[in-house]
Amino acid sequence: MTRPLLEVRHLSKEFPLKKSGLGRRRGGVVRAVEDVSFDLYPGETLGLVGESGSGKSTLGRTVLFLVEPTSGDVVFDGEPVTTDNTASLRRRAQIVFQDPYASLPPKMRVRRILAEPLLIHDIVPASKVEDRVRSLLRDVGLSEEHSGSFPHQLSGGQRQRVSIARALAVEPSLVVADEAVSALDVSVQAQILNLMKDLQTARGLAYLFISHDLGVVRYMSQRIAVLYLGRIVEVGPAADITSEPLHPYTSALLAAVPKVASERTVVRIDSGTPLSTLVETGCEFRLRCPMAQKICEEERPGLVEWAPGHQSACHFALEVPQRLRTSLPVAGGGS
Amino acid sequence: MSDALAAVEHAAPSQTAASRVGGRILRSPLLLVGLVGTTLIVAAAIFAPLLAPADPTAQDLANILAPPVWAGGTVDNVLGTDVLGRDVASRLLYGARNSLFVAFSAMLLGSSLGLITGLLAGFFGGRVDSILMRLGDVQLAFPFILLAIAILGVVASRPAWLLIAVLGIPGWIVYARVVRSRVLAEKEKDYVAAATALGAGPWRRLFRYVFPSVWQVVPVIALLDVGFLIIMESTLSFLGLGLAPPAATWGGILADGRRNMVVSQWLPILPGLAILVTVLSINLVGDGLAAVFDSRNVGGGFRRLRPKAPAAPSSEPGAGSLLAVRDLRVEFPTSGGRVKAVRGIDFELAPGETLGVVGESGSGKSVTAAAVIQLLEPPGRITEGAVFYDGEDLARTSDRRMASLRGQEIAMIFQNPAVSLNPVLTIGFQLREAIRHVTKASRRTARDTAREVLMAVGIEDPDRISRQYPFQLSGGMNQRVMIAMVLAARPRLLLADEPTTALDTTTQAQILDRLVKLTEAENISLVLITHDIALVSEYADRMLVLYAGEVCEYGPVREIISRPRHPYTRALLESVPRVEDPADRLQVIAGDLPDPSEDRVGCPFADRCPLVMEVCREAAPPRYKVGPVHTAACYLWAPERAEAVAT
Repeated sequence: MTRPLLEVRHLSKEFPLKKSGLGRRRGGVVRAVEDVSFDLYPGETLGLVGESGSGKSTLGRTVLFLVEPTSGDVVFDGEPVTTDNTASLRRRAQIVFQDPYASLPPKMRVRRILAEPLLIHDIVPASKVEDRVRSLLRDVGLSEEHSGSFPHQLSGGQRQRVSIARALAVEPSLVVADEAVSALDVSVQAQILNLMKDLQTARGLAYLFISHDLGVVRYMSQRIAVLYLGRIVEVGPAADITSEPLHPYTSALLAAVPKVASERTVVRIDSGTPLSTLVETGCEFRLRCPMAQKICEEERPGLVEWAPGHQSACHFALEVPQRLRTSLPVAGGGS
Repeated sequence: MSDALAAVEHAAPSQTAASRVGGRILRSPLLLVGLVGTTLIVAAAIFAPLLAPADPTAQDLANILAPPVWAGGTVDNVLGTDVLGRDVASRLLYGARNSLFVAFSAMLLGSSLGLITGLLAGFFGGRVDSILMRLGDVQLAFPFILLAIAILGVVASRPAWLLIAVLGIPGWIVYARVVRSRVLAEKEKDYVAAATALGAGPWRRLFRYVFPSVWQVVPVIALLDVGFLIIMESTLSFLGLGLAPPAATWGGILADGRRNMVVSQWLPILPGLAILVTVLSINLVGDGLAAVFDSRNVGGGFRRLRPKAPAAPSSEPGAGSLLAVRDLRVEFPTSGGRVKAVRGIDFELAPGETLGVVGESGSGKSVTAAAVIQLLEPPGRITEGAVFYDGEDLARTSDRRMASLRGQEIAMIFQNPAVSLNPVLTIGFQLREAIRHVTKASRRTARDTAREVLMAVGIEDPDRISRQYPFQLSGGMNQRVMIAMVLAARPRLLLADEPTTALDTTTQAQILDRLVKLTEAENISLVLITHDIALVSEYADRMLVLYAGEVCEYGPVREIISRPRHPYTRALLESVPRVEDPADRLQVIAGDLPDPSEDRVGCPFADRCPLVMEVCREAAPPRYKVGPVHTAACYLWAPERAEAVAT
């Protein structure tokens, strides 16, 4: 078996709590990411889904050491990454952000934006920078005339293409896409998703594809990890996760996705994160779970492999498909 | 209204930023006055040696305290002479030279120091930041004029550099604070994180990325600072602590004048006027430029237009419909031309029915809703068409009538509930006030109603939520409160503009389930505006697909979803990745939206349509009937072709 490109082990990130901040209070910190482990193989896409506050964005940034982890290890291409040793990560792992307005420096022309990574890493001799910028623009479907533009002169889709080109400039093996298409119109979103797929095929890129949109994640990923309150509650092959989830939270997420031309047949759960009632022991999801039992209060379920390559952190994982697939009259309301 | 803004933005690049700024300068008379004044004074200072009729230090003791020419003086000394017989006009000109030189140099010194310290404090934070900012606090607490007097009073000679240092250095803190706060905001932005990911070191991030976005705050502060420094310099000169005599300074002339006021009234007035005019001009320029470059003033320069009385509608509302929109057209005049955001939209809505309006940005979906409820953002206006609500044309009704309809019979909810709720009042108070305003109920009844409607939108503990402020609640909870608030008024028509776009999917599902259930129960007609065609397919009865301000397809949801007749609708359905039915490859709509400010010939979708025909570029397609109540604006469905393409 090939070596994983990225190995993440027991990664946690805590933020000190501000006076009236929201989140889980425990000793004055918010635990945005808690004990997350996963592998990502070369050329693979791992989708990361979760709702707001699930810590998916923080996880993406922590993996890249844009945010320093509180504990845990990140190994990139066999080499442990630390705060003082990010050179190989910076050279070969990049990120594309959600907001095409905020993610490009407003006062730089496209030409300069794309030249920056080339100059920082001395990737090509100065005389070749212009040629390389031109070929990057071509690779992401922009024309040479865009090289003189400022970001604000481009449309949202064009800006996102520039962001992708900038990430590609260092010829990375890993790209973290943090809600990279969420701000775009559906027709533009489809263009960018297809572009990202094509680039992956052509360059053997691995993606950590973060999104709240299950449809998008399903389209892009071979495997999907579902994040709830900073922890991975389910991870497995994309098709299995979306067709036969083994965690009630995943099941609920799937049920909530609006679907074209189909009636809802799945259970809905309460939305929102319980802020006032903090879960110190047991399963973090039990307060919203339609299947919760006594054991869920007492014991936090660990990630267990229930099917080949398919792990779920639920005591009753194997019951999820039968219990939650058919329509059960469960209260849809609540706070 | 984001649609309209997107459309306006789309049209904007046709005009250069420079000419826009130029236009705004010309439209601001005060700024013009300031610019002219400042230019004249700066020119006077620079060219003083050429302009001055005499040597400013040449004494003529035979001709002291001569009056200005209009008070009986001679043309040789237009503004008279001072106590040593020196020409006042020349001394004022040289005074301008000295005052401006000292003030400008002091400003440059202060702003450079402030810019550098602000950048460092903001970017590196931590100890650097605390030390610099505490130093600034100490300095602001210290009366700086006393310090200046003390320093300048003890030295024998007062060279210009000392004066510049004493005046300039204390100014750093003003710049540093503003620059620091801009840096704090800017360094958190994604583009700086992206630079980190690219391997850019801290100095590169600071100077290449952050600095270009923050330095612009400096010139405006600097300009106002120069005005202040001129006054300070004159004050010091007046006290005899400015440039050493015989150098001409306005403060010095003023001091001379004060001593000889009885003999020569004009002597103190002239330098006073010079100081006044200079500082005023500079401040006018500073304020004016700040306004010109303020991006919030983008819409400036347009007078608010009242909606033109639309032409008589061609058709009367259909019987049995609560809302009937007929050939609605909306324009936004901009500096780049008229953005025609809505170009002839028709639809109808029966009581209790839910209509889904689907489109991408620039489709005109939000503008349509705003036009229905007569809340178009100026300068937008309805140019043609009619909006029949219960037989009454809202496009031509009075503002007063409209105000009473809004909130009572017609209500609207927006994407971001937090901006619609008052942040400093509790949820309960706002809700009760809204209920009392509409129903004129007593306090007690209002409280009961408030509790009821909160329960109705799925809030289980209404009493606790009532005591909270909007910022204490999640986005989903705030949106529930908004829905409760509009439902309390028991409207007959509810417009919901992307009501759940900012929310999580599980929250979205619950809120829409509730909303649709409630509108059905209360027989409220709902217009659900969204970019998400799947959402419409789940919740609406009828669907209106908009593209670039025009109707593509209109009909029953089930029919359109299962048999989309317009190529755009089909493309829209196929370009959304579906979790339940994953595609190998998404269909892509190539190309971009047509320019919203241009007049069009033919179908707006022609350039992006995979099935485009010659006729599509020649004339706009009429809406062909493709079902009993289903129309599609596409030539594929022209009667002579329809049979061939029907599937």
